[in-house]
Amino acid sequence: MTSIPIVNHTSLAADWRDIFALTKPRVMSLVVFTALAGLLAAPVMPPFVIGFTAILCIALGAGACGALNQWYEADIDAKMRRTAKRPLPAGRMERGTALHFGVGLGVFSVLMMGVAANWLAATLLAVSILFYVIVYTMWLKPRTAQNIVIGGAAGAFPPLIGWVAATGEVAPLPLLLFAIIFLWTPPHFWALSLFIRSDYANAGIPMLPVVAGPGSTRRHIFFYSLPMAAAAVAPWLLGLTGAIYGVAALALSVMFVALTVPVLANRATEPTGMAPEKRLFGFSVIYLFALFGALVADRWLA
Amino acid sequence: MTRIVGEESPTETEVIRTRQRARARIMAWMLGAFVILLFFITIAKTGQNW
Repeated sequence: MTSIPIVNHTSLAADWRDIFALTKPRVMSLVVFTALAGLLAAPVMPPFVIGFTAILCIALGAGACGALNQWYEADIDAKMRRTAKRPLPAGRMERGTALHFGVGLGVFSVLMMGVAANWLAATLLAVSILFYVIVYTMWLKPRTAQNIVIGGAAGAFPPLIGWVAATGEVAPLPLLLFAIIFLWTPPHFWALSLFIRSDYANAGIPMLPVVAGPGSTRRHIFFYSLPMAAAAVAPWLLGLTGAIYGVAALALSVMFVALTVPVLANRATEPTGMAPEKRLFGFSVIYLFALFGALVADRWLA
Repeated sequence: MTRIVGEESPTETEVIRTRQRARARIMAWMLGAFVILLFFITIAKTGQNW
């Protein structure tokens, strides 16, 4: 009997745009920006091509995280409106393609970082990828409401890696930059998860609003924004940055905390009544861009 | 969506070939860029003792 070769039609037909979409380009832009800020805030500048390659590797590492996240969560993504049109749940690509692409991109980015910049930066990049994929995506996210609290560390690595790529060593300022993003992540994601709570509930993801309810989540947002604000101002208070950063950090953090007050006072349970949460979520993205922009301005203009 | 080899319609085959060509072209450009990048990394590291 002759065996009939079976091929998978979707894997042959994967479009390059879908492969690109696996990398979550919008998330990557924030990663690249914070990594670039970490690199530009460093006291020594590497040659342009080394700095460029370091940022490229961090971007590719973030892309690998996005691809591996979508590979692992394809079933969950299919249940959520926000993610149902992604290449895997929409059936435009085979899961294996996403896995191979993610692993290949991750390994390539780490090796390239080691060769171009230094192996400490490469190690940190590898740790951040593994942390995001294994600790956050596979372990924490489906199990605990604290997923985003601990998992936030994965997104906090880029400025630290950018700094280490430039200097070859860890210092107090990049550790504070790590702390800022680590503490910024929970209020940022909880604001989002409040107005897409039903999506997470349908997918069985134990996000805080699903497990503890909107009231508890709003209190968490307010109380987490306080240490975040303190961490944001700390580089200035400790004399690690100048007044440009200090004034910007103070103003932005006051605005951030001020925007959490209407969230705390809000009693709405439906997305239509969650204007304060949507406003806070939108501002939280601007906050991080502006804060790290001020850091770079402080280093180069002061 | 699993198919037996040779069962694609001519239109589907054309779509597959178009996408393969696009991917191959992008891969070629990326490999070329990688070689150039590696060249400049080497120059930077040897020139400035990095």
